[in-house]
Amino acid sequence: MHRRGVGLAAFDKQQTTRRFEELSNSISQSQVTHLNSQLSQFRTALTHFASTHRDKIKSDPSFRHAFQQMCTSIGVDPLAGPRKGGWWAELLGLGDWQYELGVQIVDVCVSTRERNGGLIEMEELLRVVSKLRGVSGGSITVDDIVQSIKTLEPLGAGYQVVEIGGRKMVRSVVKELDDDQTTTLALAQDQGGRIVEDMLIDRRGWSRERARTALENMLLRDGLCWLDDQDEVYGRAYWVTSAMKWDV
Amino acid sequence: MSLSTHTTPSGFVLPSIHAAPPFFTKQPNPATEAIVIEQWSKLILSYARHRKLFMLRVDDAETPGGEWDEVLRNERINRRLPPTHLESILTAMVVKGVAAYEPAKQTRSVLLYWRLPEEWAEVLHQWATSTGQMNTIMTYYEITEPAVPSPLSNIPIPLLRKAIAILAKTNRAQVIAIADGEGVRFFAPAK
Repeated sequence: MHRRGVGLAAFDKQQTTRRFEELSNSISQSQVTHLNSQLSQFRTALTHFASTHRDKIKSDPSFRHAFQQMCTSIGVDPLAGPRKGGWWAELLGLGDWQYELGVQIVDVCVSTRERNGGLIEMEELLRVVSKLRGVSGGSITVDDIVQSIKTLEPLGAGYQVVEIGGRKMVRSVVKELDDDQTTTLALAQDQGGRIVEDMLIDRRGWSRERARTALENMLLRDGLCWLDDQDEVYGRAYWVTSAMKWDV
Repeated sequence: MSLSTHTTPSGFVLPSIHAAPPFFTKQPNPATEAIVIEQWSKLILSYARHRKLFMLRVDDAETPGGEWDEVLRNERINRRLPPTHLESILTAMVVKGVAAYEPAKQTRSVLLYWRLPEEWAEVLHQWATSTGQMNTIMTYYEITEPAVPSPLSNIPIPLLRKAIAILAKTNRAQVIAIADGEGVRFFAPAK
């Protein structure tokens, strides 16, 4: 009677595979459990953080900025999530806050569109929106406005933040600005809104025809500026309404 | 440069747009001019209400020293509303029904409706009721120059006629010919 040799053949192939499967299952099981517990811990921490600091996030702009930066760096969008508005947004109430600000931005842009041709300086927008919100609304920053305008994107209303002459402006009409217009707008901003042909000729080296065409286009075609035919020096001056500082 | 409101010597608060130099120019862009006209007619009506002014003439923009100077001129920025621009603003106001040419058949002088004739009719009837003038005959002079100042003091006769005509339609007034012109008798509204 032969004794079975002690060798690799002694291992039942199938049994081994099964054992490995069991082991791997139990390992991944424990990993999943671990991950789940970590995730729930993270959630609890976040919920706790959010509920503790909710008011501060809403009222303190620098805190809000830091919070949003933190969210971006760990790849969490405060407005995104499985549910409408996101559990994240719901947790913070930040979604509503952002939408509310969006509505206020639209309100200001639309109500000032007549006089500025649909182009408003960021600072001016911030000032008017802040006024609209009153003291209790807490202060807001340019960052908040930019964020809110992003949330308006799906509406397709064409709200856009553009940079003209190093200054941020919000455009509320779908209108492409050509280079000459951008230059003119930038110069007008330095002049409190008033601009004449000679400024473009002297400071930008334009020909008179080019300067006139740019200004007349803005006046007649785009409604971005108003004419003043009683100008003391030049007789004919253009006023870019979005670059003017209005108190009311 | 910041555009701010300004309180005039007569106590009227001018809107910030009044401090904007281009506000005084007739705008070549029709959409922009519509905004300018809208702003001007609002300003004119509220100033008229503030000072109880009934008439506005193109001449008021031509010669300084009139009762409309505070609005038609802005000395702080050295701008004035050119008469031709005022005339087109008046035209727009007449079209909108917030003013009427007075006298008719010219375009240089208007009667301003900071209260519409219908509203004046109510004011008139209320005044007649509260001062116990029901069923008595009154001359127009007694209404426009009352011994005790009333909301109707100095109301122009053409506007008064319009208001009375509106009341007559609902049998709350009757125009009566009297020795030296016209008179009116007010009635309590029929129950």
